[in-house]
Amino acid sequence: MNAKQKRGTPLHPSDEELVLSSLEPGQLAEAKKQRIPRRSLRKSELLVLWFLRVYLLFMIVVVVYQAWSGTH
Amino acid sequence: MNLFAHLKTRGNLVITHEDIDRAHDRARVLAARSRGNWFSRFRLLWLLIGPGILVMLGENDGPSMLAYAATGAKFGIGFFLPFIVLTFVMAIVVQEMTVRLGAATQRGHAELIFERFGPFWGWFSMIDLGIGNFLTLITEFIAIRAGLGFFGVPPWAAVLSALALLYTALMTHRYWTWERITLAIAAFNLVFIPVALLTHPDWHSVGHAFASWQPLPRMDQDTLLIVLADIGATVTPWMLFFQQSATVDKGMTRRDVSFGRVDTALGAALAAAAALATVIATTPLFTHHMSAEHFQAAEFAQALRPLIGNIGASLFALGIVEAGMVACVTISLSSAYAFGEVAARPHSLNLPVRQGKAFYSVVFLLAVLAALIVLIPGLPLVYVVLVVNVIAVLAMPPALAFLFLLANDRELMGDVVSPTWANVLAAAVVVFLIAAGVMFGISVIAPHLFAAAPR
Repeated sequence: MNAKQKRGTPLHPSDEELVLSSLEPGQLAEAKKQRIPRRSLRKSELLVLWFLRVYLLFMIVVVVYQAWSGTH
Repeated sequence: MNLFAHLKTRGNLVITHEDIDRAHDRARVLAARSRGNWFSRFRLLWLLIGPGILVMLGENDGPSMLAYAATGAKFGIGFFLPFIVLTFVMAIVVQEMTVRLGAATQRGHAELIFERFGPFWGWFSMIDLGIGNFLTLITEFIAIRAGLGFFGVPPWAAVLSALALLYTALMTHRYWTWERITLAIAAFNLVFIPVALLTHPDWHSVGHAFASWQPLPRMDQDTLLIVLADIGATVTPWMLFFQQSATVDKGMTRRDVSFGRVDTALGAALAAAAALATVIATTPLFTHHMSAEHFQAAEFAQALRPLIGNIGASLFALGIVEAGMVACVTISLSSAYAFGEVAARPHSLNLPVRQGKAFYSVVFLLAVLAALIVLIPGLPLVYVVLVVNVIAVLAMPPALAFLFLLANDRELMGDVVSPTWANVLAAAVVVFLIAAGVMFGISVIAPHLFAAAPR
């Protein structure tokens, strides 16, 4: 096992032991740098996402209008 | 297939300062789990609570407490008491999914959306989060300024003290220490309970309201604004991003999911108690027909002073300050976590400043900018407070769609993929939020449709 501490003082053996015994492999900061593969969205999912996007934009316009009419 | 099954601790292993700090916290969890007695079980709960309570009490923030205060002052005890409990049930349904996602993937919410669905959808959700968080952060400083203003503290000193507290909490460089300090401050949210008791509430009316959801409010634009503000006071996009990132930063794993659920439910119960207490506390303003139309946080305290005395009014103002302070910390962090995840920069409260410059800079830059805006004289801050919860409700359905897709992704989630009952409840929450938003939209575009509606 070749363990090293990134950008710091040399790793103490007890720290290495502690990390390996207490953390799951996926919890290490280095392991989190591995990318998760992309998933393609189905047509139905895209439709829902676009619907919600349009809904949000429309409702923001409504809120802005309400705030504007409130000040006038 | 579990996407994380291939990760092994063999080869050229790199261990960071962040890993060592987290390992210390996890070692205590593993030690408590290895013992089987009831005391260890209690200790395990003590060690694993945090993100759920913080997210729920964090969401009892400045504009939320203002919304609850306005609810009590405008409608008194009635429909809104059980309605607020319902909104917290919705919050539990939604936030529980983030616990499972964080524990299963060890990734934050922003990171998962970007990597799984690509930058196009990732940027949409980041823009929603960024705008919503910044507007909300401004309102937290408004609450702090108003609350401390009740005690005669000048605005510059109020925002400076909030920034100093934020700095103190973060400069511990340990997630665990930060979490415990923030939890201790967040406990002050319950100060609204003694304030409510000082008003000598009519418990028969409270019981009747819970049993019957009566009296119902008149269905008009003002009522719908309060409905949306109360929903936005409980379920908002930043909560999804914060709790998932905090779950990961705390080091929770699949084995801890059940404790994460308890943490979330406990947080919701505490936050609901504070919210209901606030409605009850301001009900005397409704009973005495005092108009609270344009009240800001501290003005509620001033208006309540003749009814509940100096101590009660001071506690109310202190509660508003606490609400703003805790949310200021949690919302800034939610933005910083998301930034770190998307920009692939280190993002953890276990990082020393040298290794987490970008992470800590985002927290402070956002907070300082929001604080400066609040100090600009003559800005119509009251409008920001009023619309911020409404915007949160409107932005929630798109955020929930991503959460729903991720929590049902078997490759990511493995054995903690969303069960059918969780999906049904989540879908019901989305439909409810969209319906509330559409009703509000109709009330703005065609107010006459609601003006004629009977009580």
